[in-house]
Amino acid sequence: MSAARDMLCDTARAVFAEAATAGIAPVEEAGFGLLLVPEENNGFGGDWGDVNAVLQIAGVIVPDLPVAELIAGEAFQPAATVSLMAGAMGRALSLSIDHVNTRQQFGRPLGKFQAVQQSLAAMACEVRAVEAAAAALASRLDAVGLDAAAADFEIAAAKLRANRAVGVVTAIAHQVHGAIGFTEEYDLHRVTVPLMRWRGAHGNDAFWAARLGRQVAGFGGRGLWEAMTARGA
Amino acid sequence: MQGFALYPFDPPGDIAALRTDLRDWLAANQPQSDVVARANCWASFDASFSRALGAAGYVGMTLPTQYGGSDRHPLERYVVIEELLAAGAPVGAHWIADRQTGPLILRYGSEEQRQRYLPGIAAGELYACIGLSEPGAGSDLAAVRTTARETAEGWRINGQKIWTTGAHFSHIMLALVRTEEGSERNAGLSQLLIDLDTPGITIRPIIDMAGHHDFNEVFFDDVLVPHGALVGERGQGWKQVTAELGLERSGPERYLSSHALLVALIDAAGPEPDPAITTLIGELTAEIWTLRQLSMSTAAKLAAGEDPMVEASVVKELGNAFEQDMPRRVQAIVTSGWDDENDLAKLLRALLIASPSFSLRGGTREVIRGIIARGLGLR
Ligand SMILES: Cc1cc2nc3c(=O)[nH]c(=O)nc-3n(C[C@H](O)[C@H](O)[C@H](O)COP(=O)(O)OP(=O)(O)OC[C@H]3O[C@@H](n4cnc5c(N)ncnc54)[C@H](O)[C@@H]3O)c2cc1C
Repeated sequence: MSAARDMLCDTARAVFAEAATAGIAPVEEAGFGLLLVPEENNGFGGDWGDVNAVLQIAGVIVPDLPVAELIAGEAFQPAATVSLMAGAMGRALSLSIDHVNTRQQFGRPLGKFQAVQQSLAAMACEVRAVEAAAAALASRLDAVGLDAAAADFEIAAAKLRANRAVGVVTAIAHQVHGAIGFTEEYDLHRVTVPLMRWRGAHGNDAFWAARLGRQVAGFGGRGLWEAMTARGA
Repeated sequence: MQGFALYPFDPPGDIAALRTDLRDWLAANQPQSDVVARANCWASFDASFSRALGAAGYVGMTLPTQYGGSDRHPLERYVVIEELLAAGAPVGAHWIADRQTGPLILRYGSEEQRQRYLPGIAAGELYACIGLSEPGAGSDLAAVRTTARETAEGWRINGQKIWTTGAHFSHIMLALVRTEEGSERNAGLSQLLIDLDTPGITIRPIIDMAGHHDFNEVFFDDVLVPHGALVGERGQGWKQVTAELGLERSGPERYLSSHALLVALIDAAGPEPDPAITTLIGELTAEIWTLRQLSMSTAAKLAAGEDPMVEASVVKELGNAFEQDMPRRVQAIVTSGWDDENDLAKLLRALLIASPSFSLRGGTREVIRGIIARGLGLR
């Protein structure tokens, strides 16, 4: 990551931490609404890679605030949601790891049980997949100059993949947490409930699967591979 | 997840031209084989194809020119591999030699071994097999018991390997053996490069449940190989094998080996499929697109000289799950008789039968998840 993006992320973490109690105002005041606005228009001049990084942090810290709407327009909300989801899933995973490393049953930490390890490994794979999808979508959007229509394939694929990860991630996170994860006082629901909501927002599984499937049927069998390689790397 | 940064896939050179050249070459040189040979295609053996591919410079690509390679960047090789797999090219003969034995010999082998073996590998003419598994050492690889004792004449090998893919057509085996008497677990192991025509070696076929002869049992009965057969350092076999497994787990073959089925599904469905099939195509596409990003990022990390053990395992786990899921989901939705002879039906049958092996070969699902769990700090 570039030094500029590192700094941006540090700022985002600090501002979102404040916003977690104070609401969206600190995010607006810090100028995150200008993230994508070009420098010549007195904006930050960021790219979608920056947006992805910031929204992942938002997904961790302030999943309930309308940060995505503040930063990007309507056409980019599905893409923005993938970034939020990647962040929230990462948070669900880190909460789960912390929990199983501390909670003891049968005389040892839960994380020492192979069944628990295997579940968390499966969950980690899903999280990693969504992170990769968000990153690839970001580089496509940047490559096409933030033209959502030119990234329709990637938006559909990434949102659908993220949607499908929600089931696995929320189920395993809650399972390994036991009852504590089902309480209002514990942090897990702060990310799992938004994940459940986002799964249906800006296009549910059926919507994106149909949309992507129609595109691919149009490419033909061999055409799918050619299209994928022509669209990046 | 700490240390799980995504690496940008940024190969040098003109990648678009590389793809075009290879696609043209394949159009002119790929045998019009049975559609089933295009599925699970890194198990499809075709010696003349491998030789032609080698002559065209697409095998041993990353090996230095002095050993017959073409000194290309690992990510250029990656691009070539994914094109070959997506086209269902029969790469099985030279596959293991190109993917892991060649790079391992370059990294750990002696100068003599490099000169002796690498040019044949790069030519697509010298094939290798992996001698890790034994009857008592599957998931528990550190339980390897095959012994090699150093004598005045060389190494004397006794024991047995099993599930050795391609041993019956390979020229060499890279074997993990116990060189230190009385040693246990992962200490005292070394790697030996064994010419398979050495006296005392018996190779017996094991027929798989599809009726194919891909893997074998290999018996070593007082087999004598020269001192120079030792690869790398004596006693460092475990470390070397672990590095080798990194090469084995993250490549595009973990999600592209049954690509032929997806192609056939899309082609059979036509440009305006019914809604259920459209949905399935969309779902499978989202998966394959994501897997490709993960695999490319892991390849980039590997190319940067880092050890992406955990990332490689993520690719293998998700890729295996995808490839096992795909035939099941296609079967659940497409009307097709078990014995039908159209392409889709034939592919479906072949992949349903082959798919249980995907999460066994190269490390089982449980072992792979264990590696990921260690990466998460749970072990
Ligand atoms: C098509 C194919 C090709 C192969 N090619 C080669 C080759 O070329 N060279 C080679 O050396 N090997 C090869 N193998 C062997 C492969 O690496 C082994 O099958 C694999 O390592 C598993 O070993 P096993 O079959 O002895 O099963 P086992 O080790 O007996 O395992 C059986 C099951 O128990 C699970 N299990 C075992 N131990 C544990 C544990 N501690 N915790 C939880 N679960 C556990 C395993 O995950 C697995 O699901 C090949 C296998 C196949 C199927």
